[in-house]
Amino acid sequence: MKTQYGVIDAPAAKAASLLPDMPKSALMRRRMLWAYVFVSAPIIALLVFLLGPILFSGWVSLHRWDMLSPVDEMPWRGLSNYVFLLTKDRVFLKSLGNTFLFAIGGVGANTALGLGFALLLNSRIRGRTLWRVLYFMPVITAPLALAVMFSFIFDRNFGIVNNVITAFGLPRQPFLSGPSQALMTLVFIAVYQFVGYYIVIFLAGLQGIPQDYYDAAQVDGAGKFQEFRFITLPLLRPVMLFVVVTNTIGALQVFDLVFATTGGAPANSSMTVVLHMYNTAFKFSRMGRASAMAFILFAIIMLITLIQVRLLQDRTYQE
Amino acid sequence: MYPKRLLSCLALLALLVAFSAVPLAQETTLTMLTHWGTEDQLAAQQAIIDAYMAENPDVAVELVTVDFGELRTKIITGRTAGISADVYHFYHLWLPDFVNAGVLAEPTQDALSYIDENVAQGTIDAVSTSDGQTWGYPTEVNPYLLVYNKRLLAEAGYDAPPANWEELKEIAAAITQVDDTGAITQLGLGVMAGWDSGIVHPFSALLYSNGGNYLSADRRVAEFNSPQGIETLQLYADLVANGGTDPSISGLGDFPSGTVGMVIMAPWWRATLRAAEGIDFDSEVGVAEIPVGPSGEAPSSIAYTWLFAVDSNSPNKPAAWDFIHWMNAEHEEGAGSAIGDFLVNALGAIPSFSHDQAAFADSMSDHYVSAFVAASAYARPEQIVAGGQEIKTLLQVEIEAVLTGMTTPEDALASVEMQANAILEEQRMMAEE
Repeated sequence: MKTQYGVIDAPAAKAASLLPDMPKSALMRRRMLWAYVFVSAPIIALLVFLLGPILFSGWVSLHRWDMLSPVDEMPWRGLSNYVFLLTKDRVFLKSLGNTFLFAIGGVGANTALGLGFALLLNSRIRGRTLWRVLYFMPVITAPLALAVMFSFIFDRNFGIVNNVITAFGLPRQPFLSGPSQALMTLVFIAVYQFVGYYIVIFLAGLQGIPQDYYDAAQVDGAGKFQEFRFITLPLLRPVMLFVVVTNTIGALQVFDLVFATTGGAPANSSMTVVLHMYNTAFKFSRMGRASAMAFILFAIIMLITLIQVRLLQDRTYQE
Repeated sequence: MYPKRLLSCLALLALLVAFSAVPLAQETTLTMLTHWGTEDQLAAQQAIIDAYMAENPDVAVELVTVDFGELRTKIITGRTAGISADVYHFYHLWLPDFVNAGVLAEPTQDALSYIDENVAQGTIDAVSTSDGQTWGYPTEVNPYLLVYNKRLLAEAGYDAPPANWEELKEIAAAITQVDDTGAITQLGLGVMAGWDSGIVHPFSALLYSNGGNYLSADRRVAEFNSPQGIETLQLYADLVANGGTDPSISGLGDFPSGTVGMVIMAPWWRATLRAAEGIDFDSEVGVAEIPVGPSGEAPSSIAYTWLFAVDSNSPNKPAAWDFIHWMNAEHEEGAGSAIGDFLVNALGAIPSFSHDQAAFADSMSDHYVSAFVAASAYARPEQIVAGGQEIKTLLQVEIEAVLTGMTTPEDALASVEMQANAILEEQRMMAEE
């Protein structure tokens, strides 16, 4: 049997040649039955716990349901939940804008800082392991614990950040309580929380680039910037794709950090789509509208992901 | 061989079933869901439950508590998952939503008669739907008043709390202190941003004291977008402008630490204030009527309540009502009820039942609760309506927008009014479908 590179895989070919001649004994049938049993378990789990709820959620998004009335008594609303969200729900539109800003800020900073720190850690600096551990620690810290910690750190009156900036003669800032600053402060916290993870990913990518390329470039007289521009960046593009796509998806779904720090306040200036979805479902008992939000968000994530894959993947293979 | 083994297994199974079924057949298990979750409150509730179970050995009661912020979610998700509690203690604003969805069981005739005989009509109305149906035993009655720090007022040069809004602005600004770095070390009037009741209830108390209304009398349209409502929100804007208040300071958290001069709050705060280290409850905490606005004639306020009710899916409704009645009834003349004792002595709240108000009159006679008792005579009950929670949250967000300078009072109230009326109309259409 030939692999996709044209190499003959002898054991696979031998197995394939044996298969048609194998007697279908009772033992074989029993084995096949067990194989189906084992395969069906995760498939059933997927259907019950993933596909089923998704389909049900889609059905609910076409109804008005308060989660308290029987499901078979949900009044039909057609697409009105979607129309309302996209034309009348100012909190949803505001939260959508906030979520985009959060994603753009978070993805941009995480990618730039993740790559920058990974380059530093990939060089011969002292205490590399210690630095890696330090950068990765926030990733394994409970998000709610981080949220509480930063609520104190950024407190307008007693937070350490304000104490430091006032020591330099600058005015105190309402980092988490000011409408123009709360969202960007959340971006900062999210970057602090996750940049360590992306450092590790970039570091793995950097260490996968053969040293030969750099040696050859140096022979050709390339400087450090040229090495980075023409070797490191192009070869890191698959890693970049992974980082950007996963970070974007995570950022568009942000919930716990916002829930625990600002709760969307002040006046929805830091409200995000998933937090608004949660409030709509469980605080206002509008599960139909919340489900419609989930599908709109899903469509947006899907669209953005496809664009990102298209932009980054094409160039990866072309180069 | 096999039949013998099979018979042995069946015999063992039969024995197990027989022995395990004996206590099950006799025991009824009730689950009670409340939001009273501090260590002291849990112990007090458990003592009530233990006393009931001692008198009723065939009934077991399990207590489940969640934070107030999660209570509605817990009730909804529990119902959806088919694991709802038998007995709920919940905020009366949610009553119309729960009734419309068929969550609640109608009380027994005995329960309704007992409530009629022992609770004031205004409080009964607060736990009844517009058709006159009462749905449970009302518990705490919570009017709002101006709670102030006498020491901070005196240090600012005032020996009496503000009686009107001009005085409120003046005193609040005088109390506020800012250090060289711009940190607010002392604040005049504390607000409670991020908490819907903490924002909307004080707003409503001020609105009523300015002669305004929240909803129309028939609860069909919002009425807070009125000249009185705009004046009320302008008061907030003025207080922010003169430094009298700042939404980044929590009145709820910082008043007990002695750094906030005034806050508009409910009686159940007494336990917190008594335990506070930053303020001396007896000598420094004062309570005054809500300052009267320029369009108002006399102090007014808002009062909300809670109720015990039974889930319509409960398989043990008679036992659940019996348990609720036992907690709220007076078993010995002059002794008050178990819940009345808990409300007054553990929370500092005002009980609904007349026998509790009489039995625990001494406990409610301190300078703090007595002022709230007096206010309960004139405070207007919070108007409950289907969709009320959503309207309240929308209003909270717009009030916070004014506090942070993001919008004007006029735009804020016009925006909420439009959305609130749409919700009220939608709820009416739902009820008609």
